[in-house]
Amino acid sequence: MLPNETPHDLHVEAAQLEARLQDIRARLAADFYPDTKTAWSAPQDPDTYNHRNNKFQSDSVRSSSLHALLLLSDSALPLGSFAYSSGLESYLAHNKTRRTHTVSSFHRFLRLSIASICSTSLPYVLAGYRQPSNLETLDNDLDASTPCIVAQRASVAQGRALLGVWERAFRGGFAGSEQLHDNHNKDADAGAAVAAIDDFSEALKSSGFDDEDDLGPKGHFAPLWGVVCRAVGLDLQQAAYVFVLNHAKAVLSAAVRASVMGPYQAQSVLASQSLQDTIMKRIRREWHTEVEQAGQVVPALDLWVGRHELLYSRIFNS
Amino acid sequence: MRQPAMPIISPFESSIAKPGQGTVVLSLLPPANPTLTTLTYKYPLKLVPRAPGFVGSNGHGPASEESKSLCRPVHLYLLTYGGGLLPGDHIEVSITLEPKTRMVVTTPQGSTKIFKTDPNNRGNMPNVIKGHRKQMPANEHLSDMSQQSLDVRIGRQAALCYLPDPSVPFQHSRYAQIQTFTVDATAKGDQRSSLCVLDWVTQGRTSRGEDWNFRSWRGRNEVWATDEKTGKTRLLLRDSVILDDEDEDLNSDEDEDEEDDDEEEEGTATDLGRDSHSPRVDTPPPQAGLAPMNILQERTRPHGVLGTLILSGPVYDDLGSFLMHQFNSQPRIGSRNWSATAPASALEPSLSAKNNVTWTAARVRAGFVLVKFGAKDFETAKHWLGGLLREEGTVVREFGEEALFSL
Repeated sequence: MLPNETPHDLHVEAAQLEARLQDIRARLAADFYPDTKTAWSAPQDPDTYNHRNNKFQSDSVRSSSLHALLLLSDSALPLGSFAYSSGLESYLAHNKTRRTHTVSSFHRFLRLSIASICSTSLPYVLAGYRQPSNLETLDNDLDASTPCIVAQRASVAQGRALLGVWERAFRGGFAGSEQLHDNHNKDADAGAAVAAIDDFSEALKSSGFDDEDDLGPKGHFAPLWGVVCRAVGLDLQQAAYVFVLNHAKAVLSAAVRASVMGPYQAQSVLASQSLQDTIMKRIRREWHTEVEQAGQVVPALDLWVGRHELLYSRIFNS
Repeated sequence: MRQPAMPIISPFESSIAKPGQGTVVLSLLPPANPTLTTLTYKYPLKLVPRAPGFVGSNGHGPASEESKSLCRPVHLYLLTYGGGLLPGDHIEVSITLEPKTRMVVTTPQGSTKIFKTDPNNRGNMPNVIKGHRKQMPANEHLSDMSQQSLDVRIGRQAALCYLPDPSVPFQHSRYAQIQTFTVDATAKGDQRSSLCVLDWVTQGRTSRGEDWNFRSWRGRNEVWATDEKTGKTRLLLRDSVILDDEDEDLNSDEDEDEEDDDEEEEGTATDLGRDSHSPRVDTPPPQAGLAPMNILQERTRPHGVLGTLILSGPVYDDLGSFLMHQFNSQPRIGSRNWSATAPASALEPSLSAKNNVTWTAARVRAGFVLVKFGAKDFETAKHWLGGLLREEGTVVREFGEEALFSL
């Protein structure tokens, strides 16, 4: 220890170095899609793990994105996701099976639904995160690529809700907070994302309803999700994983309310390793998919979602 | 959208044509004389124009007055030698419809057959795809893939009617198709460009028992609006379907020369896919005695043919409204029959089985009407769609019965 250093200084320096290391790892990880095993940061080394867990480190919560991650994965986040079944309701009406087969039929739907959300929307999440300044173009392109009104309404409603949450709740906490000043890189990154959301929000408000072709900004969910995740400091894997997991949660929650399965059964699906593996596999598959290459891998799903409007009675909006 | 005065190019001076490439420009020469000012193509592509036998509309109301002043539709046959695409074939057709012209494009050879990818001929094929389509998927299978790109620029008040036969991908085939339609962004109201595009794909040769057994089929349709003056472009619509057996994912380090293993690999793929969700999956056996479903069958079930119809522009306004009306007046799904004689506990027959065609229509932005359908088989879809288009009558009235050749 040098004479003019106090233990406190060293602690601060160590914390800063740790934060930098984490940031560099995150940036590395954003470039390469990691192995399934290492994607989620259960520390591999048991010694480090014990060391970390035996003492409380407020810094690790603050400097990491854990807090933001928990907020965004909360099912109480007021996005209105509970109102949408993403085609499940229509699927059940189109594929009437005997009671005993309903659950396995649901598993098929969940599998198809995750594959479909990953092939159609996930590239926009990733692109929104990677290039926040393209938000308006991404929004236009996703709007152009959404083939039916029902899905469009669901996406726009949730996207605008997310924008509302950002403006009314998150912006104050994340956009000007002192933690960002710790780290210049992060500051610039998040700053660009914040600016992109502000610009987009402005464009959304100023675009009237007089546009006859209806081509103004819409506020689709996927690209906004990517940009907001960047603004609150999540890394790209987290942004992608939470996006898909939230989708799975919404579908499962819809299944419970549509009496397909009970709440414990739904939780067990949600907790299962196989669901994690599926999500990981789909994310890995789309990790480098450009938005131009995004497309529907489950054409039948478009039909079910589109025909939701024809249901005699509905409990969901999609 | 008008091109700078284009000289009439001799068809013999075919310096532009690479194999599989073709260019067509349809101009309206005064007073009202639709003329193909450019027509070039090269093997294996063949483009055959047909003198318009059908003359304009037959005089109902004021709209037809105007359409009379427009021009007769020119018919273009899109042909490939052998009636299909071999692995490595790359068809690239570029069509320009100058303002006020009309064109009907059909495929008189019947369905576009996508021949099977022979794993042994990789390496013989050129590895690089030339031309401007840099957005084509850059994967290592590019060389043994069949590809088709169609690029149509539709000027103001011009109209395209493109109702081809479906593409039929054979077992083990790979195919990617990109169809780009560019309309004039500055045209408003009745001046807008019109287009009617059908894109459909079947499960393969049912007579040979093929049932979504190909390797991959990708179809992408895009409509862009371009403002020639400012150079600004905007994507109006993108419809993209990816049917991929995702075999590479699971066997990425295996060479795929062992063709015989494919059946097994597909089985593995399905098993993995199926197991991936539930701790305990009791999927009902699809049909006794059949192999388990591959991933494509699962994603397309219960349909044997899937398709999209895209409509836009003043010429198709009525047709679009008609289809929307037809869609919205379909019987509601799940309404109960309350009459006393109806058996209370009877299971409703599966909807798709009852109607054979499952479809949806949506009026999306910029006045587009997008119809998506799935049907049991090609014949069913053909009769259904042909029936609707004939009943409404716009296509026959504006373009002649020939436009419905494939339906």
